[in-house]
Amino acid sequence: MLMTILRRLGQTLFVLTGISVLVFGVFFATPGADPTARIAGRNASPQTMAQVRHEYGFDRPLPVQYATMMKKLFVTRDLTSYVDRGEKVVPEVFKAAPVTLSLVTGAAIIWVVVSITMGTLAAALRGSWVDRGLMMLGLIGISMPVFWVGQVANLLSQSRYHDTIVFRWVPALGYVPFTESPWGWFKALVLAWITLAILFIGLYSRVLRADLIAVSGEDFMRTARAKGLSPTRVLLRHGLRTSLVTFVSLFGMDFAQLVGGGALLTEVVFGLQGVGRLTYQALTNLDLPLIMATVMYSAVFVVIANALVDMVYIVLDPRVRDGRA
Amino acid sequence: MCAILALGLVVSSGRAGAQAPGETLGSPHRGGTLRLTADSSGGTLDPQINYTSTYLQLFSVLYDGLLTFPKVEGMAGTRVVADLADHVPEPEDGGRTWRFTLRQGVRFSDGRPVTTDDVVASFRRLFKVGAPTAGAFYGAIVGADACLAHPASCTLEGGIEADPDSRQVIFHLSRPDGEFLQKIAFPHAVILPADTPAHDVGNQPVPTTGPYRIVSYDPNRALTLDRNPAFRMWSAEAQPDGYVDHILYSFGLDDEAETTAVENGHYDWMYEDKPQDRLGELGARYASQLHIQPLFAFWYLPMNTRRAPFDNVLARRAVNYAIDRRALTMLYGGPALATPLCSMVPPVFPGGDIACPYTRDPTPDGRWHGPDLERARALVRQSGTAGQHVTLIVANRSIDIGMGTYVRNTLESIGYHVDMKPLNIAIQFPYIQNTNNHVQIALTDWFADYASPSNFLDDLLGCENFHPGSDSSINMAGYCNQTAQDLMIRALATTDTVAQADLWRQAARIVMDDAPTAPIMSMRYLDFVSARVGNYVYTMLYHLCFSRVWVQ
Repeated sequence: MLMTILRRLGQTLFVLTGISVLVFGVFFATPGADPTARIAGRNASPQTMAQVRHEYGFDRPLPVQYATMMKKLFVTRDLTSYVDRGEKVVPEVFKAAPVTLSLVTGAAIIWVVVSITMGTLAAALRGSWVDRGLMMLGLIGISMPVFWVGQVANLLSQSRYHDTIVFRWVPALGYVPFTESPWGWFKALVLAWITLAILFIGLYSRVLRADLIAVSGEDFMRTARAKGLSPTRVLLRHGLRTSLVTFVSLFGMDFAQLVGGGALLTEVVFGLQGVGRLTYQALTNLDLPLIMATVMYSAVFVVIANALVDMVYIVLDPRVRDGRA
Repeated sequence: MCAILALGLVVSSGRAGAQAPGETLGSPHRGGTLRLTADSSGGTLDPQINYTSTYLQLFSVLYDGLLTFPKVEGMAGTRVVADLADHVPEPEDGGRTWRFTLRQGVRFSDGRPVTTDDVVASFRRLFKVGAPTAGAFYGAIVGADACLAHPASCTLEGGIEADPDSRQVIFHLSRPDGEFLQKIAFPHAVILPADTPAHDVGNQPVPTTGPYRIVSYDPNRALTLDRNPAFRMWSAEAQPDGYVDHILYSFGLDDEAETTAVENGHYDWMYEDKPQDRLGELGARYASQLHIQPLFAFWYLPMNTRRAPFDNVLARRAVNYAIDRRALTMLYGGPALATPLCSMVPPVFPGGDIACPYTRDPTPDGRWHGPDLERARALVRQSGTAGQHVTLIVANRSIDIGMGTYVRNTLESIGYHVDMKPLNIAIQFPYIQNTNNHVQIALTDWFADYASPSNFLDDLLGCENFHPGSDSSINMAGYCNQTAQDLMIRALATTDTVAQADLWRQAARIVMDDAPTAPIMSMRYLDFVSARVGNYVYTMLYHLCFSRVWVQ
C-alpha cells in the first residue's frame, strides 16, 4: 500500500516536472518571446537592455534560469510577474482561486440539480414528447459554445435589455466577494453560473437518461417492481441511485478541471478575475512567471485530484491495491 | 473654448493655493468618484520606469517634474511650462547649461518638502533603475555615459549640481540639446523622494506631489486614488487641483464589455480603443458622450532596407505608390478617425507639410490623391524584384489583420508573392525590431512622447537607433542616411525654432525619397465617457485629464 502511494507520488512529481520543462522550453523557443525588451520599455538603450537582462537573470544558462524559477515558484514562493513587476504570482493565483471556486460551485449545483431532474424525467417519460423535447434541449445546450452563450447573455442583460425590468438588477460585469455582499455576489455570478452550467446540463442529463434506461431492465429493478413498489419509488430509490455512479465519476473529473482553470472562457466573458482569466491574461501578455504559476496550479490540481481518486480506489478495491487491476 | 478657460485660470504661484472650501478652481463641482476601466493594468507603479500610455496618463495627475506639459486643450498643451521649477529656464552656454530654481512650499503626499536633494536623486535614479528613456532622453547629461555603463554607482558627477540655499539645480550637457526642456517635462523625469528605492518599486506606490495619491493597487483588480492631503495648488495649468475626490481604476473587462459598461453608466471612461463593430451604435445613440481628438501618432509599414526585396529603393518606392492610404483609413474606422499620410511626420509638425512624392496625379498643393498601381508595377519590374517572396508581419488584433490583409493583396497586385504572419500583440513589436528574425516588412503604429518631428524621424530612422540582433532596435528599417542624419542632429541641437523646422523638412524630404517606410495614416482618438462626466478636458499628450473632469 505504502509503495503504491509512493509510486503514485513519484509519478505525480515526474508529470509536474515534465509540464514545467515543456512550458519553459516552449516559451524560450518562441521567437520574440524574450521578455527583456518588453521589460526595458520601447527604444531602451543597449545598456538598459543589458541591465535588465542581468537583473532578471536572462543572461544565465537556461537550466539555471529554470532552476531559479522553480525555486522561486515552489520554495521561496516569491516569483514575480514580468508584466506587473512586483506582483508575486503565487499569492495572485491563490487570490483568484475563490473566484473560480465560486463560479464553478454555483454552476455545479445548477447543472447537477437540473440535469438530474431532466434526465430522470426523460427516462420516466421515455418515448414521449417530453423525453424528446428535453433531450433536444440538452443537445442544443451541448452544441452552444460557452463563450457565445456568455456574450449573448451579456448582450441581452448588459446592453439591449439592460434598462428593462427583466435585467435592471444585473450589475456591471466583474466579481463581488461574498464577504463584501452576499447578495451582490449572487447577482454578479448568477448569469455566469447558468452560462457555464448549460453545456453540462445537456451532457449529464443525456448520460443519466441513458443509464437509467439501461438499468431499468436489470434484475434488481424487476425485483423492486415485483415487490409492488410504486414506479416513482423504483425509479428514484433503485434506478437513480445506481445510475448516479457514472454521473458522479464524470462530475469529479469535470469539477476538478474547471476549478483548475477550465472555466477560462466563462471567466473572460464575464470579467471574473479567476484562475482561468489569469491564465488567459498571462498567455495574452506572454508573462512566463504567471503562465508557469497558472499551468502548475492547474496541473497540480488535476494530478492531485487524480491521485486522490486512485488512492480512494486503493482503499475501496483490494484488486487495485494488490496491483492486479 | 476649454483651452481659453484653462488659460484664464492660470494664476501666479502666490495666489494659486487660495480656493474656497468645497470648490475646485472656483467651481462647486467637487467630490465624487471617477470610475475608470481598462482591460488590464499598466504594470509597475514606478513612474520612472513605466512607459505605458495607461499609466503615463494617470501619472500626469500624480507626479510632477521640474517642467511639464500644461493640462489644457489643443496645441497649447504641447508647450513646456514650469511645474516644480518656478520658471522655464533660458539656455546658457549655447544650450549646454540649464539652470532651474525649485519652487518653494511643495510637499510630497507623506508631508515631506520637495528639496534639491530629491531632484538630484531622482535624476540619478533614472539611470540606477534603468529607465527606458535614460539613454535616449537623458544621455546628453554629463556623466550619463558612466551611469549607463555602471548604473549602481551613478552620480552624474559634473552633470547635475544643486545648491539647497538658492534652491538651484543646474544641468550640464555634453552636447547642446534643443529638446532638453521637453525631455525634462516628460513623465520619467518626475521628482520622487530622495530615499525612493533604487530599483523598480513594482506595486509599492511612491509618494506623490500632484492632487492625488495612490491608496491601493492590485494589478489584477483595481487601483484606487484619493486626494493628496499635502497638495496645495501652485499652478492651475501645470498641475490643477482635482474635481473628484476619488479615482477608481478597475481592470478586467474587454473592450466590448467596457463599452457596454460606460453606456450603462457603470463606469465613466474606458481605456481601450472602441470596438469597430460598436462605432455605429455609439455615434447613433451616444453622440454627446463621444469626443474625437487629435493624436500624435501614425500607422506605417517599415521596410527592411538591408534585406531583399526592400534593400532596393525602387521596390520601397513601389510600395509607397501602391498603398491605398484612403482604403486603409476606412478599415481603421473612417475619415473621422484617420487621415491618409504621405510623410514620416504627422501634418501638424514641420516635415509633415512636405509635398507627397508618391501620389497619382500630383498637384502643386503636394497632397496625396490616390495610389498609382501602374507606376508601382513598373518600379517593381525595373527593380528586378518581381516575383520575390515577401512576409508581412502584423499583430494579431482584428484591426491589424484587416489592414494587413489589404496590404498583402496590394503587394501581390504589384508583383510579389506575399504571406501575412500575425503575431501575438505582446511580441510583435520586439519581433519586428530584431534583425535576427529577418523581417522584410511589417505593419505597426507609433506614438510620440512629446510634440516634435524628432519623435518620428529621428526615433524611427536615426542611425543611432539601429541595433542589429536586438529586440530594442526601433529603427526597424535599418535605415541610415548620413545626410539625413546630419540634418537631424543639427535640428536637435538648435534652439532656433525657424531653422529647426527647416532642417526637419529637409530631413523628411530625403527620408521620403529613400522610402525606408511607407507611412499610411495619422489617427485621431475616439474618447467615450459616461453621461455624468462633465468638463471634459483632453490634453494632446496624455488624453483625458482625470483631475479636470467632474462627475455629477
